[in-house]
Amino acid sequence: MAEPLLAIRDLKTYFVSKQATVKAVDGIDIDVNRGQVVCIVGESGCGKSMTSLSIMRLVPRPYGKIVGGQILFDGRDLLQLNDREMADLRGSDIAMIFQEPMTALNPVLSIGTQISEVLVRHRGVPKREALDRAVEMLKFVGVPRAEQILREYPHQLSGGMRQRVMIAMAMICEPKLLIADEPTTALDVTIQAQVLDLMKKMRRETNTSIILITHDLGVVADMADHVVVMYAGQVVESVDADTLFSEPKHPYTRALMESIPSLEEDKDVLYSIPGTVPSAANFPKGCRFAERCPIAKPSCFEKMPELREVAPGHLVRCDLV
Amino acid sequence: MLSYIVRRILQAIPSLIGISIITFVLLHIVPGNPVRILLGQHYTPQRAAALAQSLGLNKPLYMQYLIWLWNILHGNLGYSYNYTEPVTYLIGHALPNTLSLVLIATIFAQLFAMLIGTIQAYFENTIADHIITVLNYFFYSMPSFWLGILMVMFFSIQLHWFPSGGVVNPQDPNPGFWDWLHHLVLPAATLTLVTLAGYSRYMRSSVRETLLMDYVRTARAKGLRESQVLWRHVLRNSVLPQITLFGLSFPALFAGALFIEQIFNYPGMGLLYWNAVGTLDYPVLLGVTMFLGALTIIGNLLADILYSLVDPRISLESMS
Repeated sequence: MAEPLLAIRDLKTYFVSKQATVKAVDGIDIDVNRGQVVCIVGESGCGKSMTSLSIMRLVPRPYGKIVGGQILFDGRDLLQLNDREMADLRGSDIAMIFQEPMTALNPVLSIGTQISEVLVRHRGVPKREALDRAVEMLKFVGVPRAEQILREYPHQLSGGMRQRVMIAMAMICEPKLLIADEPTTALDVTIQAQVLDLMKKMRRETNTSIILITHDLGVVADMADHVVVMYAGQVVESVDADTLFSEPKHPYTRALMESIPSLEEDKDVLYSIPGTVPSAANFPKGCRFAERCPIAKPSCFEKMPELREVAPGHLVRCDLV
Repeated sequence: MLSYIVRRILQAIPSLIGISIITFVLLHIVPGNPVRILLGQHYTPQRAAALAQSLGLNKPLYMQYLIWLWNILHGNLGYSYNYTEPVTYLIGHALPNTLSLVLIATIFAQLFAMLIGTIQAYFENTIADHIITVLNYFFYSMPSFWLGILMVMFFSIQLHWFPSGGVVNPQDPNPGFWDWLHHLVLPAATLTLVTLAGYSRYMRSSVRETLLMDYVRTARAKGLRESQVLWRHVLRNSVLPQITLFGLSFPALFAGALFIEQIFNYPGMGLLYWNAVGTLDYPVLLGVTMFLGALTIIGNLLADILYSLVDPRISLESMS
């Protein structure tokens, strides 16, 4: 197989303050191939957003710090680039869209300015020309009245429209990798489907790789080629999407599947995983899921399990499967 | 836009009438009698009665007010007791001096505040930030007249760099622009320094807040240079509160100018007012107060208009 577009190796992103060290991302490995959609799944606080911000090198300063590992993008280690080189890459080769389209756009700049400035910055295109490209791009992402929208401001658009604008902004330089951090969480269900379809169309037409961060397994089923399940800053399972749904191995993944309500069963109380995620400032030395795990043995609390290959291409961090 | 401005000006009329009534009553409550002050050692009851009659001070208060109001509607602010000149003439002479002082100080204070506040917020909790914070509090807590005296002592008396007062050199028959500017430096610098401190504190916290916004992260995710992020994305959002501050502080600046004009013997509105207080020169006091009242209203209107120009979310039509 060809070399992956993005290879994350043993990435560690910590929040370091005088009081505590919070291990938001604690040694993860993720591969993304060209044209592939990789979903990162997990509960809030499992480190999935920090993973994406680490790839962009936009971890909140001054406390957030990437303390170790490698992020190989197209053969270059992003963590070795200086700020200027990294900024050249952002928005050009790696683009990102965020969860909250309401606040992710600048309220005092017109849509046209916000889209075109990416092209002006990275491609050196004159503003006029960049605005023409912006119109094309807006039409492509399904924004009606594109010429007019260009002169409007974010508060004049609906949430779905804003997310389309965000996608247009991210895709205008045809990046090799698009990172989407819960792009549909803040949207209505019908709009969600439209935005996901749009991302599929993007991938088809530009062969862009996508990292999609979500906690919604429905979105995973719809979009993913490959799935990475994260728990407490670690990868606990990594496998292609079909296998994940047919044969989930890790007890946490199985519990996640369990918590999807099904139409066949008539349950009064929805299933939820008992207990809570351990504090990232104070992880146990053994398996981080052991406390909540239905099949945990005493040995699980003693030793951290390794991420091992249980079947070809199927990685699981559990000694009991 | 135009209809909005006209409406706002019409709405201001009741406020102005209110201001005039309050000022009128307050002035006459203040102990002291302008007639007695004007006559000084020539005081006799007969002269006092005659003078009071010629100034209209023997009429009942409400009549005095109505006469004054009637005159003001005809563009006549009355005659100064002290200078025996029309008040409009006195204000007309003092206003350009104060206006240039206040405008120059405001512009410099705002520009420097934006620069300093932005630098401080961007380099938050560094040594530079802490040093500037200390300096800020130093000037913020310093009374303007005290700073003015220090400026005179240091820059005029010790170094002889700038004149200690006045607007032009009285010995120069044909004082030019540079002479005027030379006289303006110290008072303007004093007013700038004392107002700058407050403005830059506001600016610092405003930029700090903006830097945490999602759209700033978006701007960085687009690969924009830090300078572009700062000037295009952060600053335009951070100056919004500054504009309100500008509108609201306009009258306060005139009040600050009052002390500074006194220290630098600078013949502006402040000095005019100061001297009028000493002699209970009612027409001047009323005229200047009314003028400041109008200015407050204009300042607010100006801030609203500026706001709508900078922030697309606000339209003047929806504000009324």
